[in-house]
Amino acid sequence: MYAHIEGCSRPPEAGPVIPGRLLETGMDTSPYIELEDVVFTRSGRRIFDGVSLRIPRGKITAIMGPSGTGKTTLLRLIGGQLRPDSGTITVAGENVPRLKRKALYRLREKMGMLFQSGALFTDLSVFENVAFPLRVHTALPEDMIRDIVLMKLEAVGLRGARELMPAELSGGMTRRVALARSIALDPELIMYDEPFTGQDPIAMGVLIKLIRDLNSSMGLTSVMVSHDVQESLSICHYACIVADGQVIGDGTPEELRAHPSERVQQFLHGHPDGPVPFHYPAAEAGQDWGITGSSR
Amino acid sequence: MEKLAALGRLGLEIIASLGRSGRFLAGVLGGVSKPSVAFPLLVKQLYSIGVLSLAIIVVSGLFIGMVLGLQGYTILSDYGSEAAVGQMIALTLVRELGPVVTALLFAGRAGSALTAEIGLMKTTEQLSSMEMMGVDPLRRVIAPRLWAGFIAVPVLAAVFSVVGIWGGMLVGVEWLGVFEGSFWGNMQASVSFTSDVLNGVIKSVVFGFVCSWIAVYQGYDCVPTSEGISSATTKTVVYSSLAVLGLDFVLTAVMFGDF
Repeated sequence: MYAHIEGCSRPPEAGPVIPGRLLETGMDTSPYIELEDVVFTRSGRRIFDGVSLRIPRGKITAIMGPSGTGKTTLLRLIGGQLRPDSGTITVAGENVPRLKRKALYRLREKMGMLFQSGALFTDLSVFENVAFPLRVHTALPEDMIRDIVLMKLEAVGLRGARELMPAELSGGMTRRVALARSIALDPELIMYDEPFTGQDPIAMGVLIKLIRDLNSSMGLTSVMVSHDVQESLSICHYACIVADGQVIGDGTPEELRAHPSERVQQFLHGHPDGPVPFHYPAAEAGQDWGITGSSR
Repeated sequence: MEKLAALGRLGLEIIASLGRSGRFLAGVLGGVSKPSVAFPLLVKQLYSIGVLSLAIIVVSGLFIGMVLGLQGYTILSDYGSEAAVGQMIALTLVRELGPVVTALLFAGRAGSALTAEIGLMKTTEQLSSMEMMGVDPLRRVIAPRLWAGFIAVPVLAAVFSVVGIWGGMLVGVEWLGVFEGSFWGNMQASVSFTSDVLNGVIKSVVFGFVCSWIAVYQGYDCVPTSEGISSATTKTVVYSSLAVLGLDFVLTAVMFGDF
């Protein structure tokens, strides 16, 4: 299935990005990421079976789907941490699975990723966590690193928490620090892995604001993997739903809401039964209870 | 038939694991970081792996040396050869107990900690996040720990042997009354630098490398769950101990066997 990007020029109403802004300002609107017929199998299970997808430059794209459908795996394929069995994955014009180690690591300097757990280095303070990529990839003087780190922490509202250790942070604060770290090198692409999972309403609101503001102020290409439908649709320009190794629906939030597929509607509205059945496949009920003639 | 299939599967798993650990080692040794980056990381690991292991090495070495002094004196005095207790203690420690017990203690104290630390970094996605930042965890996390273990074990083994000899002297000379001149003189006359001390150092270098390799590989390859870390930590101690004892026999046969 081929997800189109041309129809995604309309952002959600609440979003700060003006409709068509990128086109009007003459910015490059070519896809930043392209997946072409990607097949990926793990432990004998086919996770993706010919997935094709285009993720537009400078916009927020939400990849949604039920748990266990390989959404995080998709991010790892884009980041080159996993290699597909076949198909091409192009990021910023480079075919990721074919890149040599050095070129892949160079490409990753253009990427930021917010992990579900935050993945902060537990032996480093908040300040040092954010400074880490700067220290590794640049030769900036210490006072400049300090200024940049404080600016990034200010952007996520945690400048005052710079001396804290990761163990002293709440879940929401951890993700904000991780977000500050992932934008430390001013990447072109940022990937969010389940950014809203386990967050209280305030933390969730803060994260939504941050993702939206970062996208508009830095012109980032943002890919967000989530199964929080309302939150994701409220900020994304474009979304696709992945299930059973395929893209089962894609388009702008409005297009998805009006999508004819029953499976898409079941997912968006959270219906407990439907094309994705409530019951796990089982033998006839009569067999388990010793009743003949009864079946499900 | 099922048992045969299970045996075959186990064999394949072992071969696959050996292959993975070989590729892992090549990846760690193949990557070279800038000295300005690698050296501070190495020093930090030398401290946590080596310096912090000193206490257990010193205490163990002291008691093992004291026991050797006591046992040696008891056995040798039956033959009127208690003056040879010094050379017995020195040869036992330098050739065998120094490298072997140090490696076993290292596996239990530092090896298990290395596995747990790396395993936890994997479980909490710290290694993945490093990769996604364009930083190779094999160079940044694994290599300094592997090299630190490789350097620390021979030094710890030397400390172990020295403290053990001193402990043996305390018991043999100070407590049981062996003549001090015979104790040190016999030791000096019978311990050869090349065939005893150097062979002991070679053993501890091999043990240090193998124990560190097992520890970092088990951590890196563990299933990223709490159960997985627990299992990997146990494997580190068991595999390291077996590898040390098995390799000790092989090395001893090569070094001291008179075939």
